[in-house]
Amino acid sequence: MKRYFGSYGGQFVPETLIKALSELEEAFIEFKKDKKAKREFMNYLREYAGRPTPLYFAKNLSGFSGSSVYLKREDLLHTGAHKLNNTLGQILLAKFMGKKRIIAETGAGQHGVATATAAALLNMECVVYMGKKDMERQAPNVDRMRLLGAEVVSVDKGSMTLKSAINETLRDWVKNVQTTHYLLGSAVGPHPFPSIVKYFQSVIGKETKMQIKRKENRLPDSVIACVGGGSNAIGIFSAFVDSGVELIGVEAGGESLELGKHSATLTMGRPGILHGALSYLLQDEYGQVADVHSVSAGLDYPGVGPEHSYLKDKGRVKYDVCFDNEALDGFKLLSSLEGIIPALESSHAVGYLLKHKKMFSGKIVVINLSGRGDKDLGIVRSKGVLDV
Amino acid sequence: MCKIGIYLVCDYPNSEKFLDAVTVCEKYGMDFLEIGFPFSDPVADGPVIEKAALDVLKRENSNDFLQSLEKARNIFSKKLYVMTYSNVIFGYGTEKFAKKTEFINGIIIADLPFIESERFARIFDKYETNTIRFVTPETDFSDIDEIKQSSKDFIYFVSTRGITGGKFSMDTETLKKIEYTKKGFDYDVILGFGIKNSNDIKTACLYSDGVVIGMKAVEALEQNNFEQFIGSLKQ
Ligand SMILES: Cc1ncc(COP(=O)(O)O)c(C=O)c1O
Repeated sequence: MKRYFGSYGGQFVPETLIKALSELEEAFIEFKKDKKAKREFMNYLREYAGRPTPLYFAKNLSGFSGSSVYLKREDLLHTGAHKLNNTLGQILLAKFMGKKRIIAETGAGQHGVATATAAALLNMECVVYMGKKDMERQAPNVDRMRLLGAEVVSVDKGSMTLKSAINETLRDWVKNVQTTHYLLGSAVGPHPFPSIVKYFQSVIGKETKMQIKRKENRLPDSVIACVGGGSNAIGIFSAFVDSGVELIGVEAGGESLELGKHSATLTMGRPGILHGALSYLLQDEYGQVADVHSVSAGLDYPGVGPEHSYLKDKGRVKYDVCFDNEALDGFKLLSSLEGIIPALESSHAVGYLLKHKKMFSGKIVVINLSGRGDKDLGIVRSKGVLDV
Repeated sequence: MCKIGIYLVCDYPNSEKFLDAVTVCEKYGMDFLEIGFPFSDPVADGPVIEKAALDVLKRENSNDFLQSLEKARNIFSKKLYVMTYSNVIFGYGTEKFAKKTEFINGIIIADLPFIESERFARIFDKYETNTIRFVTPETDFSDIDEIKQSSKDFIYFVSTRGITGGKFSMDTETLKKIEYTKKGFDYDVILGFGIKNSNDIKTACLYSDGVVIGMKAVEALEQNNFEQFIGSLKQ
């Protein structure tokens, strides 16, 4: 397998992890060829997770925005976000490799919940690292993980968000690499993780393509997805990169585009090396990773998956931002118009459409609704969105 | 002769005490120094060194570190290395970084495995700064051969799985790999990670050419007994 997407990617990790990464790569290649493993994965996706998820024509939102809007309903997937596609895939891969212990990082807690769920299902030991700040703002997901049998470790170092959680999970992995699989939750990290996560998330794009053809007899004009590390985006984009469909990745503009107040890595960053990969990065002039902010814990990350950096430089995907307040508008509007409460992450894609209504006028647009928003009610309440 | 190297976080706890520590290392004849350039996300370091690094970063940046590094170079007569993370170099500009540190003997990059090292080594080579390679108990024999061939200075043997400050131990598999790394190699094989006291040093020196002490040195500095600690090592 290729270690790089153009000039992005690679394996910038301590030497101690190199053997584990090459074993993972070999196992992944075998896993993909193994018919039984594949059947097992497809079976879990269908019977347990609830795939295919609907591609829902959002009539009210369409009327409101002046375009034909379809929502890819990953919020309806078991556990409430697209993350389960990847965790079911990787847990089967871990089993295939004979690993018994699973570790994971989580930001919003959705990946942690999805990991704990898959680990419970396959009876594996599971430890999830989560930044202290995220444990506070995504508290319901902490309870869910514990209920599912995972140990949740609070990380109170550094930014105390997703970035610190990844640091801590990497440290655990370095120590326990022989027994443990690191179940990375986004299309980031050292090779082969970005390719593995994309493979397991590409089911979103494959279904979407078939569903839209059935409903509209053509491909959409545009596909919009939010980008944190980039897993839901690469999952849906993967089916369309070779077509002429406009692809838009929406990053968290946070409070403003001043460094430290957003997490718009591709929009505002420059190439750097973090968590095993060379990719766009928010950093200062000395190469120190910058502080970032987003109202949404799942987007609050200074890095991004290397394939997105490649797609940006190639000009194939357009990356743009949606600010906190615009995402909150999207959150509120989708709830009241369609009866669907979106995750704050996904609300960035919705907010982007609303902000650029004119641009999409008359077009067929697919939004990847990556998750549901129950977990976000606390934050949303604190932002005054629930006030009448 | 078994070498002892000391790891210090640059400008920790402050620039003056850091340079005092360098002077102590010179006085007690330490064989080499590794100066850590702090990084915001030091995934190969344990809590003690991470805390020290983040503390320094609140006040200083790489330009400050470069100044202190030059002073350390003037104090310390033996080999001097910089240890840091890829993006402290890449994000600053690899060429610029290599030029500004051209007076050091080598560069050690904690998150740069052999497989990715060429893009850095190529540039540091121009300034006659050696890129230090790592070998671990997991490294294949054929890879060890390749790493030995491309090394122009010591090999850093990561003897313990884990991060700085972990427990020091060596199993037979590890000993076999150390033995293999040393065989016919013109430079030293230095053990790092987890070495804490003169007992660990004695054990490590039965099998290797030297050791690096990191976490314990940083701790001693924090507890104001650095000179005593360094003095105790050569026994
Ligand atoms: C619902 C949801 N969407 C999106 C994301 C962002 O991740 P990614 O960019 O990998 O899809 C998260 C991350 O936690 C999430 O929970």
